[in-house]
Order: sequence, then structure tokens, then C-alpha cells
Amino acid sequence: MINNVIDIIIEYYPLLLKGLGITALLSLVTVLFGAVIGMIIALMRLSNNKLLKGIASFYVEVIRGVPLLLQLLIIYIALPSSVSKFVAAAIALIINSGAYVAEIIRGGIQAVDNGQMDAARSLGLSKKQAMIKIILPQAVKNILPAIGNEYVTVIKETSLASTFYIGDLMTSQKYIGTETYLYLESYIVVAIFYFAATFTLSKLIGVLERRLKVSD
Amino acid sequence: MIKAYNVCKSFGSNQVLRDVSLEIKNGEVVSIIGPSGSGKSTFLKCLNLLENPDSGSISFMGETIFSSEVKLKEKQLDEFRQKIGMVFQHFNVFPNLTVIDNITLAPIQTKKMSKEDAIKKAYELLDIVGLTDKASSYPRTLSGGQKQRLAIIRALAMEPTTMLFDEPTSALDPEMVKEVLEVIKNVVNMGMTVVIVTHEMNFAREVSDRVIFMDEGKIVEKGTPLQIFDNPQMDRTKLFLSKVL
Repeated sequence: MINNVIDIIIEYYPLLLKGLGITALLSLVTVLFGAVIGMIIALMRLSNNKLLKGIASFYVEVIRGVPLLLQLLIIYIALPSSVSKFVAAAIALIINSGAYVAEIIRGGIQAVDNGQMDAARSLGLSKKQAMIKIILPQAVKNILPAIGNEYVTVIKETSLASTFYIGDLMTSQKYIGTETYLYLESYIVVAIFYFAATFTLSKLIGVLERRLKVSD
Repeated sequence: MIKAYNVCKSFGSNQVLRDVSLEIKNGEVVSIIGPSGSGKSTFLKCLNLLENPDSGSISFMGETIFSSEVKLKEKQLDEFRQKIGMVFQHFNVFPNLTVIDNITLAPIQTKKMSKEDAIKKAYELLDIVGLTDKASSYPRTLSGGQKQRLAIIRALAMEPTTMLFDEPTSALDPEMVKEVLEVIKNVVNMGMTVVIVTHEMNFAREVSDRVIFMDEGKIVEKGTPLQIFDNPQMDRTKLFLSKVL
């Protein structure tokens, strides 16, 4: 079996690397845009406006309560057919990740001591000024490591997008499996590739986290 | 002049302030003493509307800033708070900013003071409290006493007419209490209106024009330091003072 695994890697590595590239790109796009959406949703949830708060809470609850695979299918079918499969998968993943990132950001902001907002307001700063100058810079330290972990999660979750054969790492397995009939071995090969990607990223996040602690 | 009239405040089912009324004249130094949980700090936060009272009214320099009829806009509230400095028990210095930026942030942001002027003013204040050499350090390198001195001059940089101190020495190591009290004494000597919530009875006796004793959300007794400390009338005041003096 080990020989088969090695053979698959040797024979299909261009396909596997291309798949890894697409997986990495999809993850990166998801995390970047997911962070933007997450930021907006988090600020909506923390605002005093009941309508904005309600919309944001509803969004987070629904997204977290529905399986990602279903979200992918619903969005893929709901979008016009001119939208490419990759873009459709990306949109679904961004909407999904945004909800989780929103909760990370909200937690990070709420973890900043209330006294900081009190002090800023007592000096006559507006809520917005206090948020931008005092609260958010401190919240970033709580948020960044968790966002990194979200990136790791997203890498794994993009595998569900292979439902649409978008050429990602999981899609490569489907080709390899069909061509070689070595299903177990091909699954193990992509598992190794996923693990290599997530493990490397986790380690990088660890380094970043320690750097942030040093500057504390 | 600050006037609080029949201020009530509850947190959930816990009524923290019950019809608290107090008039503070310009230039007056008022100490508020009392057991923990008596509503002293909440009352102080109601004076600059960091906490909104549930009912009652607050006026500042003859202008009503809070009542059942008057709701100021956020912008007006921000402008009002610029005139009242506040110092907190846990310092609440901004850890993401250097010492000098802690001081200049609000003057630059809210008063549109030029950066040069704000820095010049900040150095004058740093000199008064002996922190000039810490100007470009971050607060994490400061001792508790230094942090509190920074918090005081951060408030003074806004040139407020009134200063509120919320247990300014309660979180300090004993050997740092004196240096902070010295700075507060300086503030008192500048002739500002000052309200101090404190457990430092000797300090309250020394600097105050008037002492207020609060218990269970009410003002139980008020008078000159002599009246309150040497000749208290109410049993609860006597009981409290017998425990702390």
C-alpha cells in the first residue's frame, strides 16, 4: 500500500500541486472577504441599532445552524449559470466564513476591558473615535490568532466545494481514484497534502502569536 | 456647578442609587465616602453620564444635561464630557499608545489642537508629575503609581473645569498611594471643582470642603470634614467610621 501511495504522489504530483494551489487560493479569497464581511457583521451586532443588531444575529445564527454543504448547493443553484463554479463556491464559503469571523471579532472586541471605553468617552472622544483609536487596536491582538485558526478550518472546509469539481485538492482525488481504482491510497495522498498545508499554517500562526505576545 | 437631583439607578433588580441629590459649587472639593457597594462610583459615573440615570436630573453650569425631558445628542454629550476629567480606580490608561500619545490623543482628536501644541502641553504636564523620561514608553513599563499619575495628567490635558476621581488609590500598592495623593492635592490647589470617591479618610479630611457619606444607594449624611469625622450625627456614619478609622 505504501508503495501505491508513493507511486500516486510521483505520478500525479502536478495534478495534486495544482489542486493544492486552487485549494489555497479558494481559502485565501474566503478568509480575506470573510474577514471584511465578519467585521461589518460584528460591528452591526455591537451597535445600539436594534434593526442592524437583529439582522446580524439572524445571519450568524442561520449560517452557523445550516450545514455548509447545503449552503454551497443552495448558493450554487441560486446563482445564474454564467457564474463560474469556482466563484459560486467562493461566494458560499465567504458568506459562511463571514459568520464565524464575525463571532471571533465580536469576542475580541468584547474582551477589551470596559474601562478602556469609559476612559476614552470620559475624555470626550466619540464612540467611533474610541473604537478606532483605542478598542480595535487592542482587539486585534485577541482576534488575529483566532482568525488564523479560522483559516486552517477554511482550508479543510473548501474540500466540500469539490462537489462541483472545481479542480481543488479534493477534486484531484476524484480523478486519481477513477483512473487508478486505488481509492484508499488516493484518499491518503490528499489527506497528506491537506495535513501538510494546515500543519504549516498552524505553525506559522504559532510564531505570529508569540510575536504578538512579546509586544504586549 | 454640578447639580444632581433625585438620581435613581438600577442594574437589573439591584437598586444602586435611590433619589440621590447633591449640589457641588464651582471650586468646591467634595469627598464621597462609604462602604463598598453603596453606590459611590455609580453616582460619580452618573455625573458625567458614563452611566445614564434611570430617573432624576443632572445639570452642569446651569444647563440640564440629563432629565426625563432632556436627551442630549451624542455630539453634545462628547463636548460636555470634555469639560469633566475622570480618573479611574484601575487607571484605564491606553496600553496600545505610548505615554505621550495617551496624553495628546484626546486634545488632538476632539479639540483639533495641533500636534506640536498638544505635545508641548503634554511635556509640561509630564514634568509636573515627574514622568518626562517615560514619554515614549508604553504604559506596561510603568508602575501602578506612574500609571495613575499618567491617567490624571491625561485628563488634565483636556483642561477640564471639573475632575472626578473614582477611588484613585484603591488599586495601588501601599507605597505608591502617597505619590498619587500628592498629584491629586496639586489638582485641588489649582482651584478646580473636584469630586473624589475615596477610602483614604485622612486625605478626605485634609483636602475636602465637604464630605458626603453614602450607604445603600443614599446620601446618609453630609457636612464639613470636622462635622463628619469628629461629630457624626447618624448611627450608620458612626458605625462606618468606627470600622475604618
